[in-house]
Amino acid sequence: MLEISDLATSYGKIEALRGVSLQARSGEVTCLLGPNGAGKSTLMLTLAGILRPQRGSVRFEGRELVGQTPAAIVSRGMALVPENRLVFPALTVRENLLAGAFKRRDAAGIRSDIDAMFGRFPRLSERVDQLAGTLSGGEQQMLAVARALMSRPRLLLMDEPSVGLAPIVVAEIFSIIRQLHREGVSIFLVEQNAHMALQVAQHFYLMEQGRVSFSGTPGELADDDVIQRAYLGQRKAA
Amino acid sequence: MLDVVQLLLDGLLDGAGYALVGLGLSLTFGGLKRLNLAYGATAMLAAYVGAWLHIRHQAPAWLVALTVVASAALIGLYVERLCFGLPRDESTQPRGAPIAGADGREVVALASSFAIWMQLEQLAVNLLPRHLNAFPSLAAEGQWMVAMDVFGSVSGVAGGELMLRPDRLALAVMTVLLTLGLARWLERSRAGLAWRAVADHRVAAHLVGMPVSRLQALGFAAACALSGVAAFAMLSLDAQVTPMFGMWVLLKGLVAAILGGLGSVRGVLWGGLLLGVVESLAQSWLGALAREFATYALLFIVLVAPWRASGRSAL
Amino acid sequence: MSASWVHAVGLASDMAIMSLLALSAYLLLLVGRVSFGQQAFFGLGAYASGVMSALFAWPLAAALALGVVVGALCSWALALPTMRLSGLHYAVATLAFGEMARIALSALHWQRPTEDGPVGPAGIEGFRDIRWLLENDVSAEAYLLLTLGLLAAVLGLLMAAERTRLGTAWRMTGQDDVLTAAQGVSVARMRLLVAALAGGLAALGGGLYAHRTTYIEPALFDPMLGVHAVGYALLGGLGTALGPFLGVVIDLGLLDAARLFPGWRMVIFGGLVALFLRWRPRGLLDEVLVHRLGQWLRRQPPAQPPNPPTAP
Repeated sequence: MLEISDLATSYGKIEALRGVSLQARSGEVTCLLGPNGAGKSTLMLTLAGILRPQRGSVRFEGRELVGQTPAAIVSRGMALVPENRLVFPALTVRENLLAGAFKRRDAAGIRSDIDAMFGRFPRLSERVDQLAGTLSGGEQQMLAVARALMSRPRLLLMDEPSVGLAPIVVAEIFSIIRQLHREGVSIFLVEQNAHMALQVAQHFYLMEQGRVSFSGTPGELADDDVIQRAYLGQRKAA
Repeated sequence: MLDVVQLLLDGLLDGAGYALVGLGLSLTFGGLKRLNLAYGATAMLAAYVGAWLHIRHQAPAWLVALTVVASAALIGLYVERLCFGLPRDESTQPRGAPIAGADGREVVALASSFAIWMQLEQLAVNLLPRHLNAFPSLAAEGQWMVAMDVFGSVSGVAGGELMLRPDRLALAVMTVLLTLGLARWLERSRAGLAWRAVADHRVAAHLVGMPVSRLQALGFAAACALSGVAAFAMLSLDAQVTPMFGMWVLLKGLVAAILGGLGSVRGVLWGGLLLGVVESLAQSWLGALAREFATYALLFIVLVAPWRASGRSAL
Repeated sequence: MSASWVHAVGLASDMAIMSLLALSAYLLLLVGRVSFGQQAFFGLGAYASGVMSALFAWPLAAALALGVVVGALCSWALALPTMRLSGLHYAVATLAFGEMARIALSALHWQRPTEDGPVGPAGIEGFRDIRWLLENDVSAEAYLLLTLGLLAAVLGLLMAAERTRLGTAWRMTGQDDVLTAAQGVSVARMRLLVAALAGGLAALGGGLYAHRTTYIEPALFDPMLGVHAVGYALLGGLGTALGPFLGVVIDLGLLDAARLFPGWRMVIFGGLVALFLRWRPRGLLDEVLVHRLGQWLRRQPPAQPPNPPTAP
């Protein structure tokens, strides 16, 4: 569904991505692990069209995404739940959801989707008219996911959804990921929390210093050596 | 007592004018978090184009009005593209901003907008070199004298009359309606939501698929069109325009907008009214110079006041 | 004296004077602040030194010095409450202050009777007869030398200061508040110091201006003047104290004196500033260029033997 080939993105002279190649299959949860600074968020921002790569290609359902505006990418069916949530702090919860549905024109569908979101995320339904900036971290995360879902994406990108959240909230988030997977939403997940990721993903990649250094199943990942690298970013002597 | 009421009335009416003038400026700031110093010059150049049409081609008032508003919008587009159109790709930066740090890009746009201010002022003066230029007049012929007896029993004021210019009153009413209508539209409509979202968090707006660049350009042009509306309204009551108009629009609009909180549409209304009243009182107590002085003193105090929580560098 | 010589001398004096004002804006830009109020200190300096020389017959040097002190003190006082504001609010606050100063000068009536009639500031009508130069037979050329000399001295001091710890600290403050503070520099005191210096420079320029033109009025010191000063610094370059001077030369020199594009001067100048801010925000003489020029100058040694030293 999503094919990334030799993607390279730089910030000025700093090469954050140095030729990343990976795939996310339709209907699966694909997880990208890696230490801080590996370039994971840069990859997500490049996929969403916020950053422009220096070379490489991103094909989604057969069509090239590199060079498209973020708006076009959302229209194609891909939505990002960004690192740090990035909710609209001065807009209410409801308005955030409406914003997520911006590319859609079906008012009735949008309304029913909003109701569905409140059903899926009951905590948000208690705070419909509250300003998103005043929500707790976990609530903002839910809102960010809900907002991304409002555009009815076929592939959901999630950048470190568990970071900075209490374990109970993290468990909630991952159960939502499992639920979405059961409903047929494809998910491309970036995470540092390898343990939780092992419970939901069907395929893993490991990224270090701008390159993919491992690709495999959960079973292959559970190999100690590889997880050590994912946490510490360094090779452990065998 | 009657004098005080008259003063307040005059102040409120003047203040409505300031609010109208400041509306577009507050919107551009709200939308882009950047102050557009070319705002006054935009209104002035647009007004001059209208005046030129009026003087050289005897254009009727309605055509002048349309021209002024349209010109202001077009000039606004030019300003936006040159000063505020940010590169779409967030990872590329021009080599070293003049003011680095969090303030950096805000101040760069500020600086380039003043450069355009210089450009636009010169263009206006090139178009119509004389100091006084005629403008279509919509001024009322006389004044209304409102008998205070009507309010006497309520306010406790004895007889007497208040002077009220119907054209200024019409302007004030229009301002209030426009401001409240605009605020409502921003809160209720899809486009209004998009504008507020872009203003609130640019990157998040990108992520939900909003055409950020286009929205910013359109919003900016619309705000400048508002400056054209304000310009036409104010100048048609004076029936003339001078090269001082640009600076006047910028300064009055800036004070009204900042008093009300930059970016708040309803706030500009309050800010303008407050400014008008303060000026009126200052003039009656201490004279014409005090009136001018009070404008800037008020602005200065509001900016420097120690209870302001936002936008300060702790160092 | 031919008319064009007189004109040239006058133009050169104006350029030197405006450079001082531009330098004052430049200093604040270095510490990370855009000020639209420097014209206030220019005006205050003009009035203060004009008053001392015309009403109290002080010699020029003393009058100018007093103007500098007034400018520095007022600028420092303004900086106290405003330096902690964000860049944008600071810019607007200085704009407001500039107008307050102008209006205050419009209210200033201070006249003393002399044989030729009352002399002194007359509010909005301005301040006539600042005739110290004429009364002391100072020619326009001599005054030009004085002005240039002062400018050169200021430039020299500033460029020398750039090489000291103090100068480095200035620049650091403008680039990164937090980093500078972490180095142990008191950012607030740095900014106050620079503000005082900037105010003094602007006042010096104002004093020189007042004596050159013999007539000043409050309307001269309007925000446009301050805006121009910032424009000169931004265009000419923030990498060196010569930058603002270059900006002045471009505007007053090329566009005005050469009468290039009459009536389009501000359109071009404004366009240049806006374009530069887009693609070269530190101006023509930015730090990179200045550094390269410095290297190039140092790599030009006097006569040197063509044979490289033999390797060991």
